[in-house]
Amino acid sequence: MQYPEPIAKLIDSYMKLPGIGGKTATRLAFYTIDMDGDDVTEFAKALIAAKRDLHFCSICGNITENDPCDICRDKSRDQSTVLVVEEAKDVMAMEKIKEYNGLYHVLHGVLSPIDGKGPEDINIASLLKRLQQNDGIHEVIIATNATPEGEATAMYISRLVKPAGIKVTRLAHGLSVGSDIQYADEMTLFKAVEGRQEM
Amino acid sequence: MYLENLTLHNFRNYADLDVTFDRGVNVLLGQNAQGKTNLLEAIYVLALTRSHRTANDRELIRWQHQTALLKGRLHRATGSVPLELTLGKRGKRAKVNHLEQAKLSQYVGQLNVIVFAPEDLSIVKGAPSIRRRFMDMEFGQMSPKYLYNLSQYRAILKQRNLYLRQLSRHQVKDKVYLGVLSDQLAAFGAEIIHKRLELLGQLEQWAQGVHSEITQQQEQLTFHYVTQVPTEDQTSVDHLYETLQKLYAQQEAKEIFQGTTLIGPHRDDLQFSVNGKNVQTFGSQGQQRTTALSVKLAEIDLMKAETGEYPVLLLDDVLSELDADRQTHLLTAIQDKVQTFLTTPSLDGVARQLINAPKVFNVNHGILHEEEPH
Ligand SMILES: Nc1ncnc2c1ncn2[C@@H]1O[C@H](COP(=O)(O)OP(=O)(O)OP(=O)(O)O)[C@@H](O)[C@H]1O
Ligand SMILES: [Mg+2]
Ligand SMILES: [Zn+2]
Repeated sequence: MQYPEPIAKLIDSYMKLPGIGGKTATRLAFYTIDMDGDDVTEFAKALIAAKRDLHFCSICGNITENDPCDICRDKSRDQSTVLVVEEAKDVMAMEKIKEYNGLYHVLHGVLSPIDGKGPEDINIASLLKRLQQNDGIHEVIIATNATPEGEATAMYISRLVKPAGIKVTRLAHGLSVGSDIQYADEMTLFKAVEGRQEM
Repeated sequence: MYLENLTLHNFRNYADLDVTFDRGVNVLLGQNAQGKTNLLEAIYVLALTRSHRTANDRELIRWQHQTALLKGRLHRATGSVPLELTLGKRGKRAKVNHLEQAKLSQYVGQLNVIVFAPEDLSIVKGAPSIRRRFMDMEFGQMSPKYLYNLSQYRAILKQRNLYLRQLSRHQVKDKVYLGVLSDQLAAFGAEIIHKRLELLGQLEQWAQGVHSEITQQQEQLTFHYVTQVPTEDQTSVDHLYETLQKLYAQQEAKEIFQGTTLIGPHRDDLQFSVNGKNVQTFGSQGQQRTTALSVKLAEIDLMKAETGEYPVLLLDDVLSELDADRQTHLLTAIQDKVQTFLTTPSLDGVARQLINAPKVFNVNHGILHEEEPH
């Protein structure tokens, strides 16, 4: 027997989410049908709004409702340091510990030819442009993950930026090898900020 | 160390197995295709999380089933620890002492095993990849850092090879990124070569002793690590790193042209010589066998020196490949020291006489029956 079309479509949609296979998608789809009508409407609205109302900041690449984002617009923040992260969710993690008060730059990935990501495919050109147009930035802190690809990306950026006389540091100390910064606990992140090293 | 017991669930042709082993010699007797090698493989997988026979984990799960479960209690000088490994269609999970290990590299090294199968006789005359695999398997068990460096090296090598291919096809042109990949590869490559040189030096000493004994002092066995990186006895990691960097810079045009990485530990080899002559090219079949046996027996001693305990030895059908003399050497070397699992169609000749009170199991279609002691 085949599923009625609406349910087949819903299963198909759930399967587009990461880490969800056919079985889980089917379970979620049937659960959704049993949900309260209002809850389902809320859910659908939230999905659409998230996509419609959020953009990438044209300066730092963070996700934001306004462009430029609140962080880029906040003049009370230290305008002389830029912290480079892989993903927008890493910005949230850093902001939670309230230790860092400078600016950010979101790469949206790391260098990885296997995943089709070369130097032109992640947000590096915009970082260089930002540094060229703004000589008030004195330090770039690279906080990519401690994976081989995260390290390669850090080294790559360092090689492009350092000749311009800008200090480049790496968040490394305290992060366990091969780990993602989004999973690090707060204490570890805190130590990592303190123990950053010049590259 | 020794394995006290083993429980298998849906592993190869074992639906459910629960067996207690002897700490000495365990003999697995049986006709063809009954599951003797499968049982050795299970012990190997429990130790290293992957098979020595296949790279495809799915082959290990019993046909028509979704997951395989392997459990064993490992006895070590410091106490006994339960090990548990689950193989599923989507991946594997490993537990030590009931605690799930986030990384498999933390799990490997608990149970140390050495396999000796007829294929291992080709360690001398086979392709270089066989000898690299041999070094990586053995040294990885002795040093978690070696295993870590190896996995980083492999990950970077994949990226670099693909990037070189893209450069060769003019799909990309950024040489700064290539330089970064070269430096990363050089850093991990230097660590790997350094550790290989160190452990090979020790292995050579053990192997020389064994070899000399088997040949009644007639032959001297020597090892030579073959690499494009010039090395001396005391080459430091830093020196190797710089040398590799220089080589990558010198060979850049050639590597781009060929679209692949031509230098590094993934291209190195190991050469065995007897009385100064390369055994691979000049050795008789008997000399090649003796060399393989010496290397295997030396591994046992090296593992003991590095980890403090004897590993578990898995002998798959090798007795029939060795003459009475070499069998005697092998069996006396392990007697009362090393827990051994030995598969054979029948136990007779030297082996029957030499092995002290073995525990003998008859293997029949994935079921074990213990034979009454004689
Ligand atoms: N995934 C699997 N599920 C079920 N059975 C399997 C699976 N993989 C292999 N087998 C069975 O296991 C048998 C091979 O077992 P094994 O290699 O242990 O034989 P053996 O006892 O060592 O024989 P030999 O003396 O010929 O080496 C195969 O014939 C096959 O039927
Ligand atoms: Mg077999
Ligand atoms: Zn911004």
